[in-house]
Amino acid sequence: MKKENKFDLPQGTLDLLIMRVVSLGPIHGYAIAQRIQQMSREALQVQQGSLYPALHRLEYKKLLMAKWQATETGREAKFYELTARGRAFLKDETENWKRLTDVVGLILKGTLEGVS
Amino acid sequence: MSWFWRLFSRKRMDIELDKELRFHIEAQVADKMRSGIPENEARRLARLEFGGIDQIKESCRQSRGTAWLESLLQDVGYGLRQLRKSPGFTLTAVLTLALGIGANAAIFTLVNAVLLRDLPVVDPKSLVRLGNWADCCQNSGPKQDGNYSMFSTETYEQLKRNTPEFEELAAMQAGFENRPVVVRRDAGQDAAIPRMGEFVSGNYFGMFGLRPAKGRLISASDDVAGAPLVAVMSYSTWKNVYSGDDSVVGSTFWMNTKPVTVIGVAPEGFYGDRMSSTPPDFYLPIATVPNQMGGKGFRDPTQNWLDIIGRVKPGVALVPLQEKLSGELKRIYAKDPHFSAADIAKAHLVLSAGGAGTQSMQHSYASNLKLLMWIAGLVLMIACANIANLLMVRGMQRKTEMSVRTALGAMRTRIVRQLLTESVLLAGIGGVTALAVSYGGARMLLMLAFPGDQHLPISARPSFEVLGFAICMAFATGVMFGVAPALIAAKASPADALRSGTRTTVGGASLVQRGLVVFQAALSVVLLVGAGLFSQSLGKLQHTDMELQSKNRYIVHINAQAAGYKDDQVNALYRTLEERFHAIPGVVNVGVSTFTPMEGNDDGYGVHLIGQPDIHIEATNIIVNPEYFNSVGTRVLMGRGINVHDTATSPHVAVVNQDFVHALFKPGENPIGRSFVADEDSSKPYVIVGVVAGTSYTDVRRNGKRPMYFGPLAQPSEVGYAGAIVIQTSHPTTDMEEIARRTLMGINSNLAIQKFETFDAQIAGRFTHERMLSTLMLLFGGLALLLATLGLYGVTAYSVVRRTSEIGIRMALGANRNFVVAMILRSAIVQTLFGLAIGIPVAFYGATLVRSQLYGLTTVSGSVLWVAVGMLLAAACVAGAIPALRAASVDPVRALRME
Repeated sequence: MKKENKFDLPQGTLDLLIMRVVSLGPIHGYAIAQRIQQMSREALQVQQGSLYPALHRLEYKKLLMAKWQATETGREAKFYELTARGRAFLKDETENWKRLTDVVGLILKGTLEGVS
Repeated sequence: MSWFWRLFSRKRMDIELDKELRFHIEAQVADKMRSGIPENEARRLARLEFGGIDQIKESCRQSRGTAWLESLLQDVGYGLRQLRKSPGFTLTAVLTLALGIGANAAIFTLVNAVLLRDLPVVDPKSLVRLGNWADCCQNSGPKQDGNYSMFSTETYEQLKRNTPEFEELAAMQAGFENRPVVVRRDAGQDAAIPRMGEFVSGNYFGMFGLRPAKGRLISASDDVAGAPLVAVMSYSTWKNVYSGDDSVVGSTFWMNTKPVTVIGVAPEGFYGDRMSSTPPDFYLPIATVPNQMGGKGFRDPTQNWLDIIGRVKPGVALVPLQEKLSGELKRIYAKDPHFSAADIAKAHLVLSAGGAGTQSMQHSYASNLKLLMWIAGLVLMIACANIANLLMVRGMQRKTEMSVRTALGAMRTRIVRQLLTESVLLAGIGGVTALAVSYGGARMLLMLAFPGDQHLPISARPSFEVLGFAICMAFATGVMFGVAPALIAAKASPADALRSGTRTTVGGASLVQRGLVVFQAALSVVLLVGAGLFSQSLGKLQHTDMELQSKNRYIVHINAQAAGYKDDQVNALYRTLEERFHAIPGVVNVGVSTFTPMEGNDDGYGVHLIGQPDIHIEATNIIVNPEYFNSVGTRVLMGRGINVHDTATSPHVAVVNQDFVHALFKPGENPIGRSFVADEDSSKPYVIVGVVAGTSYTDVRRNGKRPMYFGPLAQPSEVGYAGAIVIQTSHPTTDMEEIARRTLMGINSNLAIQKFETFDAQIAGRFTHERMLSTLMLLFGGLALLLATLGLYGVTAYSVVRRTSEIGIRMALGANRNFVVAMILRSAIVQTLFGLAIGIPVAFYGATLVRSQLYGLTTVSGSVLWVAVGMLLAAACVAGAIPALRAASVDPVRALRME
């Protein structure tokens, strides 16, 4: 295995990232991994061992739905998109996340100087 | 897509998952190739990056909600396949479980039905019985210990009048001799049929809170002198004998030759006021006794013949109530001239729970059932040990399989779960089989305990509790002994397990396994010794000299008073019986008496010699005809027997038995010509004219301890009518019952046979308890031995398999076959010896616990011990020899190559 995640993703964040990527339009698993990597400017690399179980879990929870369709290269791939429920979930969770990071940031502000 | 649908589209989902992951890899490969990496290299890198595809698939399946169910189904399917693959293991395990649990469930069914069940009446908890032991059937006079449980009609009425603490206080007949009523549907030509009838007080049904199934039940107004004769029929009689015919209610039946109106049918399931193998067919009011039962006894106000059960008012304390009732009893007995001041001072009664009625059956079976529960528990322990051993052996055999599966990506939890599923599955199959065994077993127990009785209100069908009990036992065993091997298997590091293969040089079987085998051997020696003790005890009982002759003797019971005979008619009947039965070809002697040897009944009275009022003994009185002693084979030792010259007008005489002489006379004193007085009628002393041998009458255990006196049938006596005819023939007569029936019909069509038995069968009937115990102990002992042998065989065979290569090396190095056989056998025998070392002292200790249930044995006899030890050792040799011979036939070259 070439490299580890540069970050340890906090519990539940992967689901949020996946849903964010999927919210941009129907997309297959491989492309999701690629997109997360690109969007994080290569800082995050999602392992397949986490990606696919997460996709299946989200699908089971009816936050995502999937259908098989041809890619631009003509191969059949499983494309995921958000359900209405998924969309609402993503909105709520993103707001939660923002609030959480704001609060955490507020508290941690200036810590680095203090610690070092 | 519902999860239900998903479950069944699992295959498709798996294909899609595979396709999805494959697409991912292909896309990765394509990307890499685009960046200039050659295809082969790109493919290799992609695979590496992707990681274990099967693990990812498994995680994906996990994240679907149906995973647990899917894997459960998968595990069950796999488990079933595994079990089918090793039928020997499966069969042994299932049989072991089925026998162990089935035996327990069967015993528990009976314990539940006999000991724990209340009567099917309203609020059985508030019922209280006056008295705490089962007295039967009819007696009078003071009791030695002053504890009374059976009462006269007068006593009942007084107690009822003076106890406002009871909502209702009801009385019921305490027991019967054979079948007390003969019943005929109409005055037509069909023969009268003997049936069980029970006399009950008018408030009997009201006290129990019962409602009729049809018509009405007996009420207080039916239970007064001069009321029209009525009866209530039991539900099962109505259904089974009269096929639920509605016209039965209100119609006239002829009972004991009197017209009786059946006013109703008792509720379904009500089997009377006690558990009995002969539940009542008819309930009759006590006030109709004089009309129904023409004979003596019931008329006597001092005759005790009633059990009393009452429903106490809420909040009544039982201790003061018991004091009060005992006081009442003393007052009543103070008026009775038969009671001395000491008898009155001693007189008391003890209240007991009345919810189960009069617990005569419970009293007589409690100790046996408890013993059987212990025994069944031991067998279950042996069975569990066997299962534990089998599962452990299996767990270890499959260590390699588990390692391979772990290496291939199976999750540990999944493996443990799968092994558990397998053992629970095994337990489930065992449990279901156990229920079948339990049903059969309970039926067999009932047949052994109550031979020939179809009317017992006990069902062999396992109750809800028993069902739960069996299933819990099965699953507890399965889980308990499935967990250990599962954990062992799961802990195995795949690399180690795969590397070490199957080669081992040490023991093979673990200490735990050997310990289990030792434990089994110990338990089975205990059970075998127990079985030996009980059959020895039975043998001793049956071969006790009962001082009688039973060959070619038949005993017919009739009920003259039920057939309508009066005091002044019975003597003529006795003579007719003698004449008619003598007229049958081949008949040698015809005895007529009140009771016969080994019948189980007796009629006791206080007796003292004239001139010696201080020595007061209780003696059994039987009235007999001249041929009686010859007919039952009782020898006359001194003086004479009863003869034809003893008539109503000749002197009042009696023949006494040896024990009577021992109890009242000094050694060497001549009893002939002496006179004694019995409480039955103190105005008429008996003159002793002869002494007979001490034939056993109720129980061989009491042989030689029961004083008896025999009066002539022809002389007036207070004892009831003679109901037993003993027919001695010169050769076996198979159709004697039919001949007797025809002979009796020829005398009077109301003379029905109440009971017909050969003398031998009557004697055997007295040993039913002992025979049941001995048979069951033998069964359980055999079962234990079988299970222990299986266990020993399993462990030995397992160690032989494990040591195949070791044995191969030994043989290659020059060990010969005998050495190998001896080596394997030795370990089997050593384990058995350890088991014996533990089991023999336990068996000796156990023997002291059951001493009271054994006859003529105080400890384990040498012969029993040697037989038990010999059987166990023989079983051990067989269990060891089979694997030992297999080990000796190992071809060293093949054994070494096998790895």
